[in-house]
Amino acid sequence: MSPPPLTPEDVLLVEAATSAFRSTDREGLTFHPAWYDLPPDGRYAAFDATVKSRKLESALDPEGLSSTARAVLGRIGHTG
Amino acid sequence: MSGMDLDEHLAAIQSGDPVAFGRWIASTEPTLRLTLRSFAAVVDVEAILQETLLRVWQVAPRFLPDGEPNSLFRLTVRMARNLAVSELRRGGAHRLQELTDERADAIPALTVNPPDPLLRRRIEKCQNELPTKPGMALRARLASDGTEPDDVLAARLSMRVNTFLQNVTRARRLLEECLSLHGVDLTGELP
Repeated sequence: MSPPPLTPEDVLLVEAATSAFRSTDREGLTFHPAWYDLPPDGRYAAFDATVKSRKLESALDPEGLSSTARAVLGRIGHTG
Repeated sequence: MSGMDLDEHLAAIQSGDPVAFGRWIASTEPTLRLTLRSFAAVVDVEAILQETLLRVWQVAPRFLPDGEPNSLFRLTVRMARNLAVSELRRGGAHRLQELTDERADAIPALTVNPPDPLLRRRIEKCQNELPTKPGMALRARLASDGTEPDDVLAARLSMRVNTFLQNVTRARRLLEECLSLHGVDLTGELP
């Protein structure tokens, strides 16, 4: 049996969770607030949407870097 | 493309070269992310992935390769899985045994897709055909490189956050439809 379709609210949460922006606390990067509000199926949907998004981003980037890669490089002080 | 040894970047990474680290990330990130899919319902994989890469950058200068290809990648997969399990324990895991059993699986083969100028042009063409507001929202998301939260991006476009997210979602759907018409499938590696 396939999972029920996501609600319109969940669709927005999925989109929010695909962002590569993550804030930090004392222990490192924090989970996205939208991720906490998603049901398990929505979290898988967010994962799959992120895979597609990063593929798109790296295909568009001259150095093949996704927003995840750019975010990490930004945090180590490289903005190249 | 498999059979590559990305440890060719190791010496430069160990000497603190962020450009080399970027090249290494560009090649390893897709496979690394897919190895974490089983954790997707219980941890925020994006946060785990970024935190792991930051830690790899920190430990790389002291890392001793084992002589087999892609040793830094294999270390990274183990670190990412361990970090995911640690987060799971912190959150009181119910599925820990199931997920840790999966940890014992072999390290996956690394698949590297080099930049494809034709694909890039096709995506740009489809992107240029997007309606104005969805196009603006998606471009803002892409240009932010994960350095700004959506509320900042939305405010810059004079949109409410939900409107911004609706526009990005619509843009992605239209972009995927356009790419699909031209034989490009972004879901390739997904189960």
